[in-house]
Amino acid sequence: MTLSRRSLLGRLLQGLGVAVIVNRQVPVVQAAGEEPARNESGPLTVRVARPFDAETPVREFRPFLTPNHRFFVRSHFGPPPPDAISEANWTLRVGGLVERSQEFTLKDLRQMDAVTITAVVQCSGNGRAFHRPKVPGVQWERGAVGNAEWTGVRLRDLLAKAGVQAGARHVQLQGADRPVVASVPLFTRSIPLEKALHPDTILAYEMNGRPLPLLHGAPLRVITPGWMADSCMKWLTEITVQAEESQGYYMQTAYRVPTQPVESGTTPNVPSAPVEGMVVKSLIAAPQEGETVKSGPVTIQGMAWSGEVKVVKVEVSFDEGKTWEPARLVGEDRPYAWRQWQLVWKAKTAGAFTILCRAADASGEQQSAMTPWNPSGFLWNGWDRVSVTVTA
Amino acid sequence: MLSAAIIMAGLVVVTAAQEEDLATVSAALAPRAEGLIIARCSVCHSPDLVAQQRLPRARWEATVEKMKHWGAEISSDEADLLVRYLSARYHPGAPDHLPPLDSELRKAEPLTQEPLAEGPVTGVATRGAGIFEHNCQGCHGTGATGGMGPKLAKNPILKHEDLFWETVLHGRGPMPAWGSVLSHQDIADVHAWLLSK
Ligand code: HEC
Ligand code: HEC
Repeated sequence: MTLSRRSLLGRLLQGLGVAVIVNRQVPVVQAAGEEPARNESGPLTVRVARPFDAETPVREFRPFLTPNHRFFVRSHFGPPPPDAISEANWTLRVGGLVERSQEFTLKDLRQMDAVTITAVVQCSGNGRAFHRPKVPGVQWERGAVGNAEWTGVRLRDLLAKAGVQAGARHVQLQGADRPVVASVPLFTRSIPLEKALHPDTILAYEMNGRPLPLLHGAPLRVITPGWMADSCMKWLTEITVQAEESQGYYMQTAYRVPTQPVESGTTPNVPSAPVEGMVVKSLIAAPQEGETVKSGPVTIQGMAWSGEVKVVKVEVSFDEGKTWEPARLVGEDRPYAWRQWQLVWKAKTAGAFTILCRAADASGEQQSAMTPWNPSGFLWNGWDRVSVTVTA
Repeated sequence: MLSAAIIMAGLVVVTAAQEEDLATVSAALAPRAEGLIIARCSVCHSPDLVAQQRLPRARWEATVEKMKHWGAEISSDEADLLVRYLSARYHPGAPDHLPPLDSELRKAEPLTQEPLAEGPVTGVATRGAGIFEHNCQGCHGTGATGGMGPKLAKNPILKHEDLFWETVLHGRGPMPAWGSVLSHQDIADVHAWLLSK
């Protein structure tokens, strides 16, 4: 008990970043949204102090992997109480439409075949703040995304032990986090059986070679490579195989996008589908917004990713998208990971410049200037934009 | 260029005169509304989640209604006041960074719901559980075992009644003042429930 408590505390600290400091500021009325300089709120850009939601400053995305303590944090209710997920108490139950219900301890999982997958994890609402008209929700800008190495077991290996029955179509995921008031709906999600059985869908207990930090879902979270993070359930405790998509607010109302175009600013009652795959997207990590650079060669660098297909092209524009120059794809090339890119810009004249970037993927999708408006502001992938000043 | 500016303003053209009207409305409602946001809307999430939105009235209405449905302890009158305040201060054309509210305004906070009972009241622990859940649990944790605020179960302050009442009625540092939100009976009930933990 003492030991596991200590290691839990260790994880808490690893994953915590500025959370402790930020929490002290909770009752200040004029919080994040009204601060004159966002950088003042600490190393991560805090969007909500409690439960803690914070994004990574984009300049930090230059390395291929995003370190655990710099990785964006998002949850609906904050981490569960430590006792609920301490190694001594925690179990994972697999039930529903299965031949044999199962219960696994962490030790059981560690004895199974381990797989490591590098994958981008991105909040579905990343970039919500750029939709016009504005939509309700956490006002994420660019950094609710990260790229990490996830190690764990294949979900399909657990499902094979349990034996999926005929008629099963969906797999429900439930974590140990709970709202402070019981009348708030639980964060319950489901993914189609096909994605659950995909060999790359894993339950991860390590992130970048370290035990999964508390803020990232310790001891176990789902990783659905190529899909948005609303499927990547943290603090996982229950898996239920079922015939239908999960009921409840977070599956039937939230995290859905209209399946037909809607007029901007309206919330018509049209058919919708759950947010699943990521869309092609790119960011400029350097230079950073507002930076002053000397005239001469300037290295522009960033990352680009898509859902289950590869990024094939990244382009940069200095004239508001009239003309585009191809950037060079560099570094590691792994499925589901982001691809780094570079372009050396010969900045000749002094003055103010706007740098834009856009990417295209192997399925032929390309980023547009703006993302079609949707009522909850999901899947933003408009061109990325950075303003810099060149001095002589 | 002009059309781009209008798009960036959220497709809502707010004239200077309208802007002033909204500012007047929000200033007038601020003392009560901000009191409610601290006491009622900050149980499940910090108020920054509220302040970062820029929404038209209809979406504020839907949001406040959703919160009420989920358990925010507000009357229909209070919901109405909040919607008027929120859609005047945090409307789509409002700047990303609003000037802070006048701190004097916020201190006023005349939130009185019912005349405070005179004299000592006897708390009922079973009632206190629900009051705690809806007002205190967000910060003091399930079962009062602590969270962002200190653990209250078995906290020595429960035996120092005067200190307990002083803290709960008037607040202390990050702890909100409850004197104008909860009745003395409510506070006594929470106290009785905490003693039973
Ligand atoms: C009983 C708990 C609870 C209370 C009390 C509460 N909220 Fe919420 N609120 C939530 C939850 C849960 C969410 C969704 C959070 C998430 O997605 O991370 C939320 C989200 C929001 C959002 C973001 C938009 C959205 O729809 O997700 C706003 C704005 C908001 N609340 C405003 C308010 C206001 C104003 C009040 C006071 C009238 C209030 N809340 C009181 C639970 C609550
Ligand atoms: C927004 C968060 C928040 C809410 C909601 C809240 N508290 Fe607190 N409370 C705190 C914090 C933080 C402290 C510690 C204050 C300090 O630093 O002195 C505290 C301190 C206290 C103390 C003093 C504890 C001690 O050890 O001295 C009592 C008693 C208390 N709260 C009772 C309540 C009750 C009863 C409620 C509900 C009616 C409540 N609190 C709601 C944050 C909160």
